Amino acid sequence: YSPPGKPTNINCRSPEKETFTCWWQPGSDGGLPTTYALYYRKEGSEKVFECPDYKTAGKNSCFFSKNVTSIWVNYNITVVATNSMGSTFSNPVDVDVVYIVKPNPPEEVIVNVTEDKDWPFLQVSWKPPKMADTRSGWITLIYEVRLKLENENKWEELSAGQRKNFKIYSLRSGGTYDVQVRCKPDHGFWSEWSPSTRVKVSEYLPRERSMWILIVVFAVFILFISIWMIYMNFHSVKHYLLPPVPGPKIKGIDKQLLKSGKSEDIFSSLVVSNFPPTTSNYEDFLVQYLEVYIPEERELIMDEGKDLQDDGFKTENSTCDNDSGRGSCDSHTLLIDKGGGDKEDGQQSDQEGSQAEADTKSHEEALEDELLACSHENAQIPNISNEKEKVKSCPSLFSPLPQYSLSPVNQPNKPKTGKQHCLSDSLFTPNSLSSYFTQPDPSNTKGFRSNYWECSLDHKQSHLFHPQRAAHEALQAQNDLNAAYVDYMEAPMDVHALNVRPTEYVEVQRVSDEDVVLLHPVPPSHENSCNVSHQTEDYSRVRMVNNNNGLLLLQRDAIEEEKNMCPYEEEMVSRATSTGCRASITPTLQNSATGINTALPILDEMAGSGYVDTATMFGLPTY
Amino acid sequence: MQQKSEKKATGPRRRRRRNRLRTCRTDERTMAQGGISGGKLFITAVYLVAMCRAVPVNDLLDRASQRSDKMHSLSTLLTQDMDSHFPPYGRMQMPRPADCHTSGLLTPNDKEQALQVSESDLMSLARSLLRGWVDPLAVLSTNAITLPHPAKSSISSKIQELQEHSKSLADGLDILSSKMGPAAQAISILPYTGGTDLGQDRVTILNKFNFLLSCLRRDSHKIDSFLKVLRCRAAKLQPELC
Repeated sequence: YSPPGKPTNINCRSPEKETFTCWWQPGSDGGLPTTYALYYRKEGSEKVFECPDYKTAGKNSCFFSKNVTSIWVNYNITVVATNSMGSTFSNPVDVDVVYIVKPNPPEEVIVNVTEDKDWPFLQVSWKPPKMADTRSGWITLIYEVRLKLENENKWEELSAGQRKNFKIYSLRSGGTYDVQVRCKPDHGFWSEWSPSTRVKVSEYLPRERSMWILIVVFAVFILFISIWMIYMNFHSVKHYLLPPVPGPKIKGIDKQLLKSGKSEDIFSSLVVSNFPPTTSNYEDFLVQYLEVYIPEERELIMDEGKDLQDDGFKTENSTCDNDSGRGSCDSHTLLIDKGGGDKEDGQQSDQEGSQAEADTKSHEEALEDELLACSHENAQIPNISNEKEKVKSCPSLFSPLPQYSLSPVNQPNKPKTGKQHCLSDSLFTPNSLSSYFTQPDPSNTKGFRSNYWECSLDHKQSHLFHPQRAAHEALQAQNDLNAAYVDYMEAPMDVHALNVRPTEYVEVQRVSDEDVVLLHPVPPSHENSCNVSHQTEDYSRVRMVNNNNGLLLLQRDAIEEEKNMCPYEEEMVSRATSTGCRASITPTLQNSATGINTALPILDEMAGSGYVDTATMFGLPTY
Repeated sequence: MQQKSEKKATGPRRRRRRNRLRTCRTDERTMAQGGISGGKLFITAVYLVAMCRAVPVNDLLDRASQRSDKMHSLSTLLTQDMDSHFPPYGRMQMPRPADCHTSGLLTPNDKEQALQVSESDLMSLARSLLRGWVDPLAVLSTNAITLPHPAKSSISSKIQELQEHSKSLADGLDILSSKMGPAAQAISILPYTGGTDLGQDRVTILNKFNFLLSCLRRDSHKIDSFLKVLRCRAAKLQPELC
């Protein structure tokens, strides 16, 4: 047996800074029952007091109640263990109550799971321990919260300050949490953790994830639809994006043939069989109409617009002189005289004649392109001095007339109608016709291009067969102008007759295949009536232009009728037919002089004096 | 007691209006001397200027209590630093804390007594204690540099910090007390008679140093407690704090 051992580890604690409790650890008891006593002494006093309460705080403890507790006072505490052998004093301990404050854990810890728009969070609230007087500020507590998932071991501690509630976010969906709270005075010890509060967080799907799922599904759906649509319209899409390059296509040419490399076949295919047209089907090519050009003041035939003719023309007195050479109103001479003042007379006569002619002119169809041609020609009439007038005349049917018009003849200046017919009187360019009618002027290389022409005779008046297509033929100088005219066969007779009847006409009988226009002179009847009738009826319509630009003139039935009426004429006709006025009407292009050439020889035979006199041609007596 | 306190509560309010302007200036001074960083100073100044006429007392008390709390924490750390290398048995030979130079000041010894003290008295007590430690802190500061202790640098820095806090708190309490009436402004003088020299030998010096630190710890705790009680009494509108 021995005296008891020294009590050790005296620690005191105060929960609310009003009372405190000390515990000690007893030493060995020495084999004997040992009693423990705690004595304390306050600072500044030597009085020793014993612990008033050994029981409240349990074994080996001493509880100091409020009455005996003073703050800001040092307690010197000593525990004495006493047994029968002796007593043992423990080491004294100085204790100041304010420094040993350790509150009780917070009470009434409440944890709420708040479902806030699919984002739940915990709301923890508690109360301070009952004994701690925080209301008066005697004790100031700060709190701490900790939580963990029930399956884990690690706590997450969160400081809550002096607040008595706390919110916890970012919870795991469907997790179970344990929440604990503890507190600590401003200068003291942490309390124990409150009893754990278990709470379960409900399952929730983050809205973000569900939205993404929706988006993905929608996008996949749209992708499928777009793929399907592209698949259905694959070709059109491909066509749109990659348009096919058009391959070369030439009519009549076979691409494969080209690829094959056989030159003969290629070339043969290049050559279009029906080009240039070789058929003699003239009718197919009647696209142009001859326009017979009347010199200067002469109007030209118009289309079946008789009005023009009727209006414009009156029988005129032919001013052709009796000169045989000129009796036929050689256009050539006319041309020469053009520059002179005689012309005017001639023109006048021409005008008159033209008017008369108009009536008797063979009826030709006139195309509007005559006008065009005429206008072209007009434009190209720089040389002729007095062309102006003539130029003007061109557009108008009888436009030339006004300029010259001295005669009372009504100059049916009907521009309107005149336009239809280009009286390219100024254009003695009737290159084509002149070539054969008049002297075969070598300069007159240009064949006449006659869209339609009229064979008309006029002593004084030369009928210029004005090719409509002379547009691009530059007007030649006066000298060059060849007025082609067909002299009336029976010129001599006509001379006289001309005085009466100003115009003599040659009727186009037909156009042979050799591009020969067979003219059928219309025999003038002594009777005016006959002539008149002839005049009125002697129109030949150009039927077609053959491939060599030959004119095919239609014969009027009426003409024949007329013929019948005039026996004399008939006679002439018969005679005429025999010989026929041959002329090759070859509307030529600028360069083609073939027609002319062909014609020339013919003319040469007949033309002796350099001008073609149908009278001579036909062997008629010339005057 | 409650009536008395209520009476006293109304009094300071009237006086508060008169001293508003002075309060503003002293507030700014306090904040300036508090050693707050530049940014904080600016914000505080702006806040003061904006709220100059309506600085709430409880807010001021809150700041004061926070500063006092900091002071006490520092003093606690100081004692711990001292004890790390100073054997405890040496302390038994030290003069008891009742020998602190501030023991002459009567302070409440328990809760009931403390809660019965008026605000003005509490403020006066706090201010007196604070004033009483200006000199000892200076002595401690000078002696800490040459303190024969391994942790003297830490001790020295803490003591310096204590000094700064003490000064700013004193200024703040001056402003507060001016709002609370003349009773709050009465200060008990607690002279320090220990002298600048703590001793000649190492043990003496350390003992004395330690003793002073313990006294300081208690007194800082008193100040902190008083201010916190005052804070809770003034924060009627913020019951959650108390």
